[in-house]
Amino acid sequence: MGLFRWSQSRSLWMMHFCTGCGAVEMPPTMTSRYDMERFGIIPMATPRQADILLITGYLTVKTLKRVVRSYEQMADPKYVIGFGSCTINGGMYWDSYNTVKQLDLYIPVDLYIAGCMPRPDSIIDAFVKLREMIAKGEANGWKRYRENLEWYRTNQAKVFNVEKWSAIEP
Amino acid sequence: MNGEMEILEKVKKAFGEKAETAPKWERQSEIKVPLELLHPLLGYLRAQGFGHLAMISCVDWIEEGEFELVYHLWSYEKRLHLLVKTRIDRENPTVETIIPIFRIAETYERELHEMFGIDFPGNPNLTPLFLEDWDGSPPMRRDFDTRKYVEEKYGMIDLTKELWKREEPVLEGENGED
Repeated sequence: MGLFRWSQSRSLWMMHFCTGCGAVEMPPTMTSRYDMERFGIIPMATPRQADILLITGYLTVKTLKRVVRSYEQMADPKYVIGFGSCTINGGMYWDSYNTVKQLDLYIPVDLYIAGCMPRPDSIIDAFVKLREMIAKGEANGWKRYRENLEWYRTNQAKVFNVEKWSAIEP
Repeated sequence: MNGEMEILEKVKKAFGEKAETAPKWERQSEIKVPLELLHPLLGYLRAQGFGHLAMISCVDWIEEGEFELVYHLWSYEKRLHLLVKTRIDRENPTVETIIPIFRIAETYERELHEMFGIDFPGNPNLTPLFLEDWDGSPPMRRDFDTRKYVEEKYGMIDLTKELWKREEPVLEGENGED
């Protein structure tokens, strides 16, 4: 399985869910100046064909619903990177009435990039770190999600203000 | 200042003492009217060339128990900005819609309905605009306690403690998939 995981970590397709201002850091990361394709990571347009879900900034309740749905459409194994302070503790929206503060209450996050905004260097750094984690088998957020689905569903239902929320019926 | 004084004079003549008019800055004037004169005045101003309703804003005068609605009008011919202000009761905030005068008002009224809880009878589409599944009181009112709501609904992180010691589900056994 070592070879399997090694090859997995060498070919990652990333979907960046551009909310908030984090999206402006992505073009330099993708294009010639920083060139993340050196690490085998290419942007992908649809969640069904992506391995990494990159959440670039704050999430309102309305957006979170779409994020959960996108995340559940991705095929296993899948990895989530929380990008910027907004996904960690709300960032500058720490007391906003309409943004969620801790992303990992709602979907499992494998890696956080701190900063407001993180520079392309730190994004590349996170990708390299994620590659190592995948190769070692530490990036297991998708398994945590499956095993603790009830816990995540409860948290999601709390902000979506419903009795029981299921994004996609099993 | 000529264009401003001219239109303010006209308003005075048409609506009498109930309309308080005052020039504020260059190219900007305000007209304060009671609620029953709001719709006639807006219709009158539209006929006078103020065809652009830029926005409707709301001020929460909580001490006086009133909301103040401000209709921002702009005239491309006169190059003038008019603020039409009216006060309504805070307990039972209801204003007849102005969609027949300005079609664009539908969205503005929808937003005010969502953020301040003001009712606009006659507006066919007062559904939530930004706040899906909202359960609190309207968030832009001054008596809405934002921090309390956030603490209850989303949970605040205590930054003085280590984040990684927070309670969260942990996989049992070995990591990885082998």
